[in-house]
This record gives sequence, C-alpha cells and structure tokens, in this order.
Amino acid sequence: MNPAQSRMSALFGARFWRRCLLLASLALAMPAWSAEILLTAAEDGPGVQAFAQALREQRPADSVTFKALPDMPAPGQLPGNTRLILLDLPSLDWRLQDTQGPATLVLRISRLQARERLGNHVPAKISLLWSDPPVDRQLRLIANILPQARRIGVLYGSDSEFLLPELRQHAAALGLEIVAQHWDNINDSRPLLSLFKNSDVLLGLDDPQLYNPKTVKNLLLSSYARQLPLIGPNAGFVRAGSLASTYSDQADWLNVLDRLLDRPQAGWPRSLYPDHFKVVGNPQVARSLGIEQVDETAVATRLAEGEKHP
Amino acid sequence: MYLGPPPRSSLLLALLVSTPLLADDLFLDNQPLPQVLTATRLKQSAAAVPGSMTVIDSELIKASGARDIAELLRLVPGMMVGYTSGNQAAVNYHGTNASEARRMQVLIDGRSVYRAGLATVDWSDIPVAMEDIERIEVFRGPNTVSYGANSLMAVVNILTRSPANSLGTRMKMTRGERGINDWYASQGLGWDTGNLRLSLSGQQDDGFDSDRVGADYRDSRRLNRFSLKVSQTLDQQQSIDWQINAKEGTNQRPYTYKPVFAGITDGGNDSDVSAKDYAASLRWNFDFNPDHSLYVQGSAQQWDRRQVWTACDAKVSFSPELTQLWQMNPNYAEKLARHMKDYENGRPPQGSAAEQALAEEVLKQWNNGGKESVCGNIDQSTKESRYDLEVQDTLSLSDSLRLVSGMNYRYDRADSDTYFNGRLDDTTWRLFGHLEWRASEHWLLQGGAMYENTDLSGNSLTPRVAVNYLINPRHGLRAVYSEAIRSPDMFENNVNWSYKVTNLSSPTYGQNVGQYFVKTRGPGDLDKELMRSRELGYNGFFADIGLNVDVKLFYDEITGMISEPLRNNQYIASNSNSSRFTGTETQLDWHLSTADRLRLTYAYVDADASNPLDRQQTARNSGSAGWMREWGRGWSSALFYYGNDALNQYRFERVDMRVAKRIALGKANLELAGMLQQRLDHQPTTQLDNNYDQRHVLYFSAELEF
Repeated sequence: MNPAQSRMSALFGARFWRRCLLLASLALAMPAWSAEILLTAAEDGPGVQAFAQALREQRPADSVTFKALPDMPAPGQLPGNTRLILLDLPSLDWRLQDTQGPATLVLRISRLQARERLGNHVPAKISLLWSDPPVDRQLRLIANILPQARRIGVLYGSDSEFLLPELRQHAAALGLEIVAQHWDNINDSRPLLSLFKNSDVLLGLDDPQLYNPKTVKNLLLSSYARQLPLIGPNAGFVRAGSLASTYSDQADWLNVLDRLLDRPQAGWPRSLYPDHFKVVGNPQVARSLGIEQVDETAVATRLAEGEKHP
Repeated sequence: MYLGPPPRSSLLLALLVSTPLLADDLFLDNQPLPQVLTATRLKQSAAAVPGSMTVIDSELIKASGARDIAELLRLVPGMMVGYTSGNQAAVNYHGTNASEARRMQVLIDGRSVYRAGLATVDWSDIPVAMEDIERIEVFRGPNTVSYGANSLMAVVNILTRSPANSLGTRMKMTRGERGINDWYASQGLGWDTGNLRLSLSGQQDDGFDSDRVGADYRDSRRLNRFSLKVSQTLDQQQSIDWQINAKEGTNQRPYTYKPVFAGITDGGNDSDVSAKDYAASLRWNFDFNPDHSLYVQGSAQQWDRRQVWTACDAKVSFSPELTQLWQMNPNYAEKLARHMKDYENGRPPQGSAAEQALAEEVLKQWNNGGKESVCGNIDQSTKESRYDLEVQDTLSLSDSLRLVSGMNYRYDRADSDTYFNGRLDDTTWRLFGHLEWRASEHWLLQGGAMYENTDLSGNSLTPRVAVNYLINPRHGLRAVYSEAIRSPDMFENNVNWSYKVTNLSSPTYGQNVGQYFVKTRGPGDLDKELMRSRELGYNGFFADIGLNVDVKLFYDEITGMISEPLRNNQYIASNSNSSRFTGTETQLDWHLSTADRLRLTYAYVDADASNPLDRQQTARNSGSAGWMREWGRGWSSALFYYGNDALNQYRFERVDMRVAKRIALGKANLELAGMLQQRLDHQPTTQLDNNYDQRHVLYFSAELEF
C-alpha cells in the first residue's frame, strides 16, 4: 500500500467514525419513532396539501413529505423504513405493482373498492384503512336514535352483496332484522317500493352504484313519502336529506394515523376502521319525521363507549 | 299544496357550524350531491299539522277492496258517505244536504274536480282509476287558505302514483255479482330524465237492484278512462309534470218526469246521462335554492253531460199565456195547472184581475185541444269548462320561519240551454299567504289569509290561525280557528231554468218546438256562506308500540247558508239559513306487529240546522274498524266494519272481507283476491229507492304485474 493510500484510509476511517458518532448522537437526541413519512396521490390539490400540512403539525418530529404519483420511483426502490401513506386508488395501483417496498397505509379506500381491486386477499405490507362507515357502527347509530326500529331495509347491488353476511351478524347481535333487497337497475324503482313496505328504517351501504347523484333524488323522495328515514351511507347524503350517519373527518383520521405511526410497521393491522368518528344528523328531516333531534356529540360518545372492548 | 315545517336558514351552514365538516376535508365525500329534502319540500310532522288530517295510504286502499273513491272515504272519521243512486255518491263531511254535496273541496294532484257550474262532485265520473291512486289525504276542517274556495268543511286531496313509481306493466280484472265488471291496464316507462305512465281502465256495475216499490232500479253505470302522466326533469333546478285524463261513460237515471196535467199517461223510459270528463294539467317546478321554490300550474277541464229524454204532458204546457201567468205568480199558475179538471167548466181560481184573465185564456186553450197529450225531447245537457292558473311560492325565511304565498286565476264557464238559457261564465282571482313560525322547540304558530274576488259574488277575506304545542316531536296538541267561505255557485245564484222541448210529436201552438211554461231564475244576489270553525286536537305517535292516535273536538258554524234544494218549481234561494256542528272525532292506527295492523275511527257529530234538510246527512254516531294481516306465504286478509246510526234516517252497517294470495311467476307477480261485502242491517242505503236484493255481494279480482 502506498502512503497516500494509507493516509486516505486513515482519513476515511476517521471520517467514518465521526459520522457514526454524529448519527448516534442524533439518534439519541431524536425520539425513537422519528420517521420519514411519505404521502402520495395521483392528484395534488388543496385537500391533499391541507392534510399533509395537518399531519406535519400533528407529528412535528417526523419528516412529512408529499410527492405526486408521477414523481414516485417504483415502490421497491423506496427505503424500507419509509412510512408510505397512499391517498387514493391510483396510488394503490402503483403500490401493488411491486411486492417489495415499505409497509404502506392506504387511506380513502372503501370496502367495496378494496374488494373490486383486491378480492378477498390483502397483499403483504398493505394496511387498508376503511373510508366507509362501519356497518356495525351504523347499526348501533340506528339503535341509538331510532330505538323502535326493528326491520332494517338494505339495498344492495352485486358489488355490495358481500357485506350482507357481516351486516346480518351485527344486526342479530343487536336484535335487529336485515331486510335485504337487490337493486340491479337503478332506473327501476319497484325494488325500492317493495323494500319500503317491509322496513322501519333504511340503511345505506356506501355503494356508489346505488347511492349517487343520479339516484339520490328518487331514493330520498320516495323513502320520505313513506316516512322512512335513511341512515347513511355517508355524511354527504345527510346534507342531501338522509337522517344521520357516522363519519370520520380529517381530524379523526389524524388521530388514527398518529397512533399507527407510533407503532412499528410490523404491528400495523391488515385493515382497520377508524375508532375516531363523529355523528352528523339532519335536524330538518328529523323534525319532519317526528324524531328527536340527533344530539351529535352525545350519540357519538355513546357509540364510542359501546365500542370499547376490555 | 301542503305546508311543511319551518326550516333552517341553511342546512349547509348549520352543518358547518355544528360540526367540523369542512369543504376541503379530504375525507369527506366530495361527490356533488344536490340537497333533496329541502326546507321547501319537507312537510310538517303529523303532530305539528295545523289541523286534523287523515291519510288513506296505498296499503289501506288495496286492503279495503274498494272500487270507488267514495267508498274509501268511509275510512275517514266524520265523513258521511251516502248515495243518491247507485252511480251517484253523495259525500259530505259532518253533514248538510243529502242530495248535494257542495261544501267539500276535492283535488286530484292539485286540480279541483269540483264541477264549475253545478258545484257538485261526480265521484263516479272522476277520471282516475283506483289503481292509480297512491294515497288520499283528507284535511278534516275548513282550509280555504291552503286549498282555495269550497274548502268549507273538508278537503279531499287525491294523489296519484308518480310515473317514476309506476314502471312496468299492470293488468287487473275484477268480476262479481251485481254486474261488477272492472278492468285496468297500465304501462310505465322511464328514460334518462323522465318517466311516464299510461293507464286505461273501465268500470261497470248494475247499481242498486230495486226501488221503493220493488221495481228494477235504473242506476247502472259503464265507463272507460284514459290517463297519461309524465314527469320530466329539465335540469338540477327545474322539472315539469303534466297529465291528460279523459273519461267517457253512461250513467243510467230512472225516468222521473211526472206530468203536471192530469190524464197524461204517456212517458219515456229513462233519463240516462252520457258523461264525458276531460282534464289536462301542466306544472312547472323551479327550485331557486334549497330555501326557495316556486311552481306554476295550469289546468283545463271540461265536463260534458249529455242528457236528453222524452217528456209527455198536455199541449197547454207550452201556452204562452200560462208561461206569462207563471212569471206573474208561480203559486197561482201551479194551482191552476194541477187542477185543470176542477176549473175547466167553471171560473179560474181566485186571483188578481190580470191573473184571472190569463187563466181564462189558458182554460180556453185547454178545452180546445190543449188537454191532448204531446211528447217531445228535453235536452238537459250541460257543458262546463274550467281554466285554472296557480303560482305558489315557498320561501324559507329563516331557521324557524316559512312563508307560502301565491295567486290563482280561474275562469269557469257553463253552457246549458236548460239551466242557464245559454252560457254563463265567472272569473275568480285569489291571493293567499300562509306563515309558519316555530317559536320554540315546543310552540308552533301558523296562520294565513286568503283574499278572493269573483265576478259573480264579489270580494272576501278569510283568515286562519293555528297553534300547536309539541310535547315532544311525536305528540302535539293543537288549537285552530279558521274561517272559510263558499261562493254561491252559478247554479244556485244564476240559474235560468226552463225546458225547451223539441221534436214535439204533434204541432203545438203551431210549432214543433215549445218552451215549457215553468221557468225558474236564481236570485242573482246571493251572498257567500261563511264557516267559522274552532278545533282542539291531539295527535300522538307511540313509537314503541306503533300506535298513532288523533283526537279532535270541534265546533263549526255555517251562517248565510244557502239551503234551498235546487228545484225547478219554486226555487227561492236565500242566505237565510244556518247550521252548527259540534262533536268529537278520533282515529287510531296501530301497527300491532309487522304482520298486523288495526285501524279504528269514530265520530260523534251533533248537527243543528235551521233547515231540517241540512240535518239529514249527519249520522250522530259513525265509524269504522279494520284489521289487516299478512299471514305469510303470500296470503293476506283484511276485515273492515263500517257503520253509522242514521244517514238520512237510514242505518248503515257493513262488514267487508278481503282475502288475497300473491303468487310469484318468475319475474311477474300475480295476486288473486276475493272480496265479500255483507250488510248487517236491513235498511235502504241513504235513499228509499236504494235497495239490494241480497245483503251481500261477492267479487273477485286477478292482478298481474311484471
């Protein structure tokens, strides 16, 4: 070895050790969970930016960055310790192209969308955080605000049919009966009418084939004509004329994420409904149907208490 | 039109304030959904309705097995359902005259079917099939503010099924005793922005069997109907609904002409009516925003009643001198005419010199061939038309204040040689406003007024005010004071009644055409009838047992009442009568289980009227009881009892039983039903001539839907 080489080695060795020391001291100075959080979505927008900013504020110690999907490398090229959060379905498609890559939290995905894309199989390293209100929570909302309702009318399509067994199971636990009605042609309202005859209340499944801007008018007007309240399928429908729904907004999701991000990635669940949520009611509809106003905070608290398992 | 609750100024605002639902929240569904159940669309809850309301829903309509709207109204407490003949139902709320029911408003999808000229409702001729009715809302009490003139004692609001809910094909046949033979067929279609329903139907039966002397009673009917209803969405804010209805048919009428002059034996066989009804309406709905909406509805209707019959009397009936004498003194003329034989060989009855001179002349004619019988045709046909335009605006002023206001223009025309000696018309303008104020969670104050001006009977202003106290959203107490007016109809006020007889069997006074000597004219200066109604009520829904109860106490007075029956001899109408109705009503609707439903109604009505005729159509005690049950496997049954202790002095008690079986045939559904009606009493129905040979009737129906 020539002296120059040796000097370089010595220099390199010293630099290496100095760096190690620096890293070690940094590691000691920062909390153990300090992490690289990477958000992605196909489209950027004020909503996405507001969320990224809120997450930054929620976790000041982490590095929260948003990168639009076109700027992302293949998932496998991301460092393994990155905490990847997907904000839409195109980003999920991108993530699924590679079995390698960091553990991933998928937000804003409903049970129906997941089933459509993934079937019953949830790929490894993926945690699905459901955007649709959980059916048991919606059923307990019904039991809370409409204690006399026994027959829960449910419209389903071929996409949402798979939810029925689960729905029936939860309903049975609450002493409720599910009256299910297949609705395959949204231009034909006869199935609605036959369901309305046999129901005390309607529960909307978050199935965009059935509940969408095209069907909302007919659904709400014809159920209202029979004095039948609709619960769900989501907060947007409550504004349109549904009686009430549970929902989770950004603040709820930030709380949910905060807890998950505190945990090691290995401990993330395969799928999860947010345990932070709110209740929204439509006071005008309640008044017209002769139902007590929904005390949103109190009902949400009662529902949350009911979900606490020892 | 009915008035909903005072809404929030903006639900969106409320949501924004009460919950952290943010517009740019990534996690809230940002699908652009329209607000559907808006402040202007939502109605009052049952406990907050400013009055008494009975709703006959589609389940009840079907279970009742009723073939006529009038029969369905037996389910409404206080409704007095009677019959003038088999094809002429006479329906009154609480009472008044048995032969004419002119104090109740009847609407079909917002269009009044009250006849423009003769001020009656021809229940059997309404161009609507039972199968097309979605529900009937009966507002029990006066409400001209919301429903217009003639809403004096009650309002029957018939709502037909929306085309969107009528998709597919329906066919129904009904056959049974008493010549019952009905059919119905409908087809519903939908496209991207609209729907339509076309329905055709027909009805036939023999009416009552025998008159007071046991002879066959001529009161059968046959009719066919056509109905087309279309709804079309234009954009997010606008939609139009239009419909066309037509009906043609024949209503038999017994021959009732009795010659004035003695010794005439010839006569006709019938005075049947061929009845055609046409109606068309167009409604444009516009939502400015969730707090403000407006509609404009225009409609045109025509009622054609063709009634030509043969009358025979002495030739002297057409004497110009006798006509002159009648105009001078009807009593004198009638005395002479009815007793010609007593005077033919002597002096005429005592009277003024002029009367006696004319009578002498008439007697001379009588003795010179005037006593011979002559027959001819009497044309009692009428053609009535109505054009109506209404604008109604619903504005939610704030969270707790809502205003419904509007105006209405109506043009009525009646053509009849017999009744009006040609044509008569009338124009009505109305302005109305109704304010709902939710003062607090418990107190609701609603009031309004209507101003009306008609060419024939002048101006009027009627107020209405109601206070509801809501114990909770399902239980409410109410106190209502309302005034309502009824303008005298063209017939009452302006009748110019005389019979022109054509095609005389032999020349009379040198003519083949003659003017019958009896002429009647309406006073022309009749004033409006005024109703003052006071009501205390309770409406409650016991959600845990599925029981809905409504009770009301009422005290109604009608003053300036026109009570004189419409007769062509000596019709002297005046506003000199009055009546008073007091009592209580209750209705109970109980969903005992998902399979059983019980329904009870009862009314106690005490009627006091200056004219005894106005007490006839009031049964002191009346009511109904029903039990509907789903037995499973497609079987269902309904058992109803209807009773009243004396309507026009006759008791009425009937039990109806309907048993039905639904059978699924692939995608189609077949329902077979049997219906038995059993009378429990032995009395005629309302009138002495309305008798059945058997106390029961049986009919069957088959209905296929696909």
